[in-house]
Amino acid sequence: MRVNSVMLWILTVFFALVAVLYGVWTAIEYGHLEWVGTIAIALCGVLTGFVAFYLDRVYAAQGGELPEDRLDSNIDDGDAELGFFSPWSWWPIMVAASLTLFMLGLAAGFWMSFIAVGILVISLVGWVYEYYRGLFAR
Amino acid sequence: MAVGTIVWLGSEVMFFAGLFAIYFTLRSTSPELWEFETNRLNFPFALGNTLILVASSFTCQFGVFAAERMQARSTGWKPTQWGAAEWFFLTYAMGAIFVAGQIFEYATLVSEGISLSSNAYGSAFYLTTGFHGIHVTAGLFAFLFVIGRIFSVQKRNFGHREATSAIVVSYYWHFVDVVWIGLFLVIYVLK
Repeated sequence: MRVNSVMLWILTVFFALVAVLYGVWTAIEYGHLEWVGTIAIALCGVLTGFVAFYLDRVYAAQGGELPEDRLDSNIDDGDAELGFFSPWSWWPIMVAASLTLFMLGLAAGFWMSFIAVGILVISLVGWVYEYYRGLFAR
Repeated sequence: MAVGTIVWLGSEVMFFAGLFAIYFTLRSTSPELWEFETNRLNFPFALGNTLILVASSFTCQFGVFAAERMQARSTGWKPTQWGAAEWFFLTYAMGAIFVAGQIFEYATLVSEGISLSSNAYGSAFYLTTGFHGIHVTAGLFAFLFVIGRIFSVQKRNFGHREATSAIVVSYYWHFVDVVWIGLFLVIYVLK
């Protein structure tokens, strides 16, 4: 992250110099300042300056190097938290089946949809609380 | 899990973009109808309902802050001492008031002759606000599930899994809230 912010600071200085050069050059060439280009180039410098400043602050606050900035790190050092996913749950199939029945009810006979809603409620509760009951209760 | 939720919400944005497109297309083809029908809407009522929904997004976020400091339940009666469960109960109540207000508004409009099949305005109005209302209702069920998870683990065992489900439900709730702000501006303000 150190390198990222240094590169953006270099760009900021570059844009500042180019903005001045462009303004002076167009002023000599046309007799007046060319506002659109001068402002656009100057604002590019402001943009890179903002990002560089932000990265500096983040770098100072994180208290160390990120895995991607270290030569001795492994790929999995940079893994984000993936969350918890059940490897064998049957409940998603139940949810899908009850929704299928619900849509079938809309098309063929509405009485089926009432049954489907009942099964859907059971499936959703079963899915959400699969790891909160029985052996997994904590 | 948070990334997956954001990706799914991106697809939801596309869905609501389609509904907005329906609304604007019908509006551009029958401007006189719009001028007549939009003046029959109860603006102060809808504004109050909107403010309740927007406020519920803030209470939801306070619940997330509580979940992030791993505080499942309150340690006192003051709101600063509330845990995720108390904030989510309050959010649920406000969301329920919003849905009830929507139903009341629908009932009033239907009694005045604006229905899903009355004309193009009725179709556009009920399609956009109706699909939003279904989303709010689904969000209320999601809050019940998260509150249930908070109560089904012992207080000291409240952990990352419970906090993550609270956070992703809050993402969804904020999304639904922002969509409503858009709908409110388009339907009730932009007459």
